[in-house]
Amino acid sequence: MPETTQFAGGGDNSQDTSLKPNHVLHNRYKIMGVLGGGGMGTVYQARDLNFTDVRKLVAIKEMQTQVSDGALRASMLKTFRREANILATLSHPAIPQIYDFFDLNERAYLVMEYINGKDLEILLAQTKELPVEKVIEWAIDLCDVLEYLHTQKPDPIVFRDVKPSNIMIDSLGKVRLIDFGIAKTFVSGVKNTMIGTEGYSAPEQYKGDVSPQSDIYSLGATLHHILTRKDPRLEPPFSFHERPITVLNPKVPPGMIAIIDRALLFSGAERFRSCREMKESLDTLRYRPMMLPSSSQAPVQQPPNYPPAQYPPQYAPQQYPPQYAQPPQYGAQPQYQPPAPETPSTDFFREGTTNISTIQPKWTFKTEDEIRCSPTATKDQAFVGSYDSNIWSLKLDTGELLWKFPTKGGIASSPVLDEMNRTVVFGSEDFTLYAVDFRSGRISWTFPTKDRIRSTPRVAHNFVFFGSDDGKLYALAAPNGRQHWAADIETPVRSRPFVTNELVIVGAESGEVAAFTLSGNRKWTYRARRNIISSPLVNMVDNICYVGSGDGFLYALDINTGFNSWRFRTHGSIISSPAEYKQLVFFGSTDGILYAVNTQNGREKWKFDTGKPIVASPVVHKDAVYFGGTDGYFYCIGAENGKERWKYKTGGAITAMPHIAGDVVLIGSLDHTLYAFPLGT
Amino acid sequence: MNLFRRFFNNQPQPKSASDNGALNGSITPGAVPTTKAESPLQETAPLITTAPMMIPDGATRPLSQESLLTYLGGDHLIFGQLSDVGMVRSNNQDAAISYFVSSRSNDERPDFGLFIVADGMGGHHDGEKASALAVKTVATQVTSTIYLPMLSGQTDNQVPITEALTEAVQKANADIMTQVPDGGTTFSAVILIGDLAYIAHVGDSRVYLLTKDNIEQLTRDHSLVQRLIELDQLTPEEAADHPQKNVLYRALGQNEVVEIDTLFRRVPPKSRLMLCSDGLWNQVQDREIADIIRQNANPQDACNKLVALANKRGGLDNVTVILLNLPG
Repeated sequence: MPETTQFAGGGDNSQDTSLKPNHVLHNRYKIMGVLGGGGMGTVYQARDLNFTDVRKLVAIKEMQTQVSDGALRASMLKTFRREANILATLSHPAIPQIYDFFDLNERAYLVMEYINGKDLEILLAQTKELPVEKVIEWAIDLCDVLEYLHTQKPDPIVFRDVKPSNIMIDSLGKVRLIDFGIAKTFVSGVKNTMIGTEGYSAPEQYKGDVSPQSDIYSLGATLHHILTRKDPRLEPPFSFHERPITVLNPKVPPGMIAIIDRALLFSGAERFRSCREMKESLDTLRYRPMMLPSSSQAPVQQPPNYPPAQYPPQYAPQQYPPQYAQPPQYGAQPQYQPPAPETPSTDFFREGTTNISTIQPKWTFKTEDEIRCSPTATKDQAFVGSYDSNIWSLKLDTGELLWKFPTKGGIASSPVLDEMNRTVVFGSEDFTLYAVDFRSGRISWTFPTKDRIRSTPRVAHNFVFFGSDDGKLYALAAPNGRQHWAADIETPVRSRPFVTNELVIVGAESGEVAAFTLSGNRKWTYRARRNIISSPLVNMVDNICYVGSGDGFLYALDINTGFNSWRFRTHGSIISSPAEYKQLVFFGSTDGILYAVNTQNGREKWKFDTGKPIVASPVVHKDAVYFGGTDGYFYCIGAENGKERWKYKTGGAITAMPHIAGDVVLIGSLDHTLYAFPLGT
Repeated sequence: MNLFRRFFNNQPQPKSASDNGALNGSITPGAVPTTKAESPLQETAPLITTAPMMIPDGATRPLSQESLLTYLGGDHLIFGQLSDVGMVRSNNQDAAISYFVSSRSNDERPDFGLFIVADGMGGHHDGEKASALAVKTVATQVTSTIYLPMLSGQTDNQVPITEALTEAVQKANADIMTQVPDGGTTFSAVILIGDLAYIAHVGDSRVYLLTKDNIEQLTRDHSLVQRLIELDQLTPEEAADHPQKNVLYRALGQNEVVEIDTLFRRVPPKSRLMLCSDGLWNQVQDREIADIIRQNANPQDACNKLVALANKRGGLDNVTVILLNLPG
């Protein structure tokens, strides 16, 4: 790590003007060596020859003005002298004593107490960890000395430059503040582009506003650096809150974190009013034993009273709907475990919101077997397929049965409305695609394939597009079911095709995502590493296709070329189909998490952990995401922030997508039941 | 090359060497020019005229009104590029590269282009070494990991473009860390595949998107003042003459790991993409940039005029501009 990351730009700082060892300065100070140096000048260690019998060491700071303009140089020296005079009147154990001040050969010298110790920057580099109790002691002493400076009369003295390299820890372990702001007046404006910011300065200092609150910010920044070991000079300025201390150093008590966070607020008025106030807060930490168990430090972090692990009895890997029973995806899934107590924040959050899940379904309807597919609805009629082999049609406002239509196999493909032809279209495990008149429940047409149909059909351009386990993608005329074309994909097609004005895009078991023209010619193919069950979603403005794969990635493909723009990795399989809202794409993974990813760069915006695999697809309505988990819960969470709004526990795992219809959201569960929840609560 | 150009381009040929391939053909390997602009104060760029427009005295005239906002490139992109030392500096620490490939065949390969501006910093020529190295490394990587597989049709399970681009920039960062330890550079790159632009960005060079009536800065400066503006601690006006306005918090060659901003955008037909170093945007306002670009149908003319204006305003810094005119 570079000590400073600044470039000098043009100037060449040659060191040949520095004083050599044994040089006697001002007939009194014998130079021993160089203690340090920077852009402003050099600090020497010297022996005071006036003390002949003892070895009295001093530190001498040499100011090089490097200014050719005589008048300007004189003015700078005057400022330097004035500040040196102020310093000489100060008396505080943490401030080094000033012994002498003189000009010589157009340079200014300040003679002060030599401090035997190390500055915090060096200590940071030489240690792996500094004890938190020690850091709290230093913070208290720093508040004390800053308060002393801030209460000077007639004007408060603002140190302006609190940072690890300006804080010495002496041989007694005490804090000493070095390098007062004197040097600052010697810094001129920056001409060349430089890299690296000062890192510790408060935002208002860059406007020229300096107050005691600026020192409080810098102290907070320094403490943050010491405790997290993340150098703020290497990070975006004022980004401390993006590096939470809780995450980077769990040993720091919450009280200390709260104090540092407050010191680091952007607005000076919101920080501590004075260093005395900050010191008083720090004192309350000191008088408690430091190594309390975490539960008594923060009541909010107590392990929540969790019910014993509930694994829905009907939900076990071998009982997955057959179309999801891909051994590599589930074999590797960790078994459900009770929530670990060391994740307090999410547990706390979850527990806090359980109480507000007072939502109740408007109605429910129980079918005779698991509901594995998504419902759909007209403005007054709902449709749902069940593994009991029936399609059920219900009144949307009451859930009353209107009709049912039996097939010869379970239904895993979701029914789809064809408003133009007044049919509901769905596939069955009996290999057949059905179009049923949605008013009467009478058959309109059927189309046989050579294997089970799990792909949900898509009705577009007056055609029905769907895939079958027989390895084909079909395009049928929607009015009569006559085959328009069938494209060979060779492995089962279980995802729902997406249809644009030019292309049909579908994923298959082989892992390929294929795009066909509307006349059935293959345009491009992208190959993921594992099978694709997740249905592609195309953003028609950006012409980007989002699709998840059993390999755990969500892919963003350019639909003109099939090139992969970006991909996002999860730690499970993605079976869930993506949904999009305001440049965010949402999808679940069998790692138990619902993700929100920024579509402009493929980076995570937020995630919501349910703890158990998510195979169902989310739906976005207004600013909320609705989805079900295999934990049996139906969730409603904020689309922008991923915060839970409500959830409802059904009697079985949820594997299908919800459907928004009017003022209700419909969701089916493996507990055989279709639920209708009111929206807008 | 000449034949090639005439085949793809119905425009008249540049009349002299000084036009320097302004209307590029389908393949124009970019260079890293360090020459001074031929005449920074010249207000009108050399004309690419047809004979009837020639004035007997050989003087230059502005393009006729009819030629404004027309597209000169047929069915593919054309670009201009200029890098200039400016009026004050003794060396040019900027580096740039542009290349664009267009093919029409049964294979249906999309057009492909790579455009980079890098603004180096550091004494003892470290700045120009760092920017040159960044451009060289990324151009080589992108060509071999993105373009060549595309050309040979190996697109099954290809590495995502964003990832390949990010990796290339990380490699450039690592190369600078080892080969030019005291140098650093900003870095802004555009990969264009069809009408999809992939952008990678670190530092305060910029990428703009211009449409008929809008100019939009696509990249975010990694500068102290930009950060202060975002936190409402500084107004853009205060930032413009802030003493620390040149302080960056992120650049290549500074740290083992660098966070690279990436984004991608579908670029509309007839829009323009511009990459530039701070030597341009510090001297010329966005509105003026937009005006000059709109008034010059030829992207090289626009680049020449933008650089000339920056130099006229003092030319305090190196100036580099790449301008892409997208087909309609």
